[in-house]
Amino acid sequence: MQPVHDLFFWVSELPTSIAIRESLLFSPYLTVAHVVSMCLFAGLIVMMDLRLLGIGNMSTPFSELQKRLFPWQMLGMAMSSVTGVTLAFSDPMRFYVNIFFWTKMLVMVLAGINAMAFHFITYNSVVTWDTRATTPFGAKLSGALGMVLWAIVIVSGRLIPYNWFQNN
Amino acid sequence: MLEGFFEQMGQWPISQAIGASIWVYPTIQAIHLVFLALFAGGMMITDLRLLGFGMRSKTTAEVARDARPWMVTGFLGLVATGVPQLMQNASREYFSEFFWYKMYLIAFGLIFLLTVRRKMIQAPETSAASKVVALISMAVWTGVTINARLIGLFT
Repeated sequence: MQPVHDLFFWVSELPTSIAIRESLLFSPYLTVAHVVSMCLFAGLIVMMDLRLLGIGNMSTPFSELQKRLFPWQMLGMAMSSVTGVTLAFSDPMRFYVNIFFWTKMLVMVLAGINAMAFHFITYNSVVTWDTRATTPFGAKLSGALGMVLWAIVIVSGRLIPYNWFQNN
Repeated sequence: MLEGFFEQMGQWPISQAIGASIWVYPTIQAIHLVFLALFAGGMMITDLRLLGFGMRSKTTAEVARDARPWMVTGFLGLVATGVPQLMQNASREYFSEFFWYKMYLIAFGLIFLLTVRRKMIQAPETSAASKVVALISMAVWTGVTINARLIGLFT
């Protein structure tokens, strides 16, 4: 992946990237902020996925839960993205060779596709199951996939510092 | 006394076994974070309702009752994956100020959860008081998370 390598290498030479990399405290504090914003994002995503699976938060109509949690999920996503991109920006060559980093990126794309598929297909029929005690198969599938995919994102993210398979 | 106990704990065969494998400890750390998301979600869905931002067609009590089993599951998972990490790192954590901040905040957070917050959840309407309770709850558990992450980064 020469173009990706070249991009990451180019970023790694930027003065801002070098400055963050060489600062002792900036990266640890970014990591902490990344974990806190992950809680906001993934915590409320999992609450929605449990509702989709039909096993949690069933007193509330799905559309209301979705509407109320969405702004907070997006706030969590924005904070995770800013802190995450800055972390990657600060040391791109370390991430470039890391299998867990790429696993995380790939699975995030899959989780995004899952969310889009739900939004454009299953959510169209929400009026028919919004307040029902069970949810349709499509909703259960999206909920289960969402939980599994975001769990993989969290796990692979946490494993990035352990470069067991690193290949320079 | 406590220092001796922590030193001993680090010597237990199971603590040594966790440290001996290169992947057991990292995997436990990673699963700890998955349970953290579950716990945080169950906590926040109720705290947001107390703040008046949550699902307003339901009372706080109803939202909290729905969220409770997942919050409890998350907490038990956090303990189950947290204790082995402590066992493997016992002496190091004993001397980490962040570890103790985390423990004090968890103790405070649990007492607060079972007393003031529990009572506030029963109130039929959100109020200035319920908002303060939600903000304290969010601040305390965020403090737990921040200190927890700092143990690993600065010890």
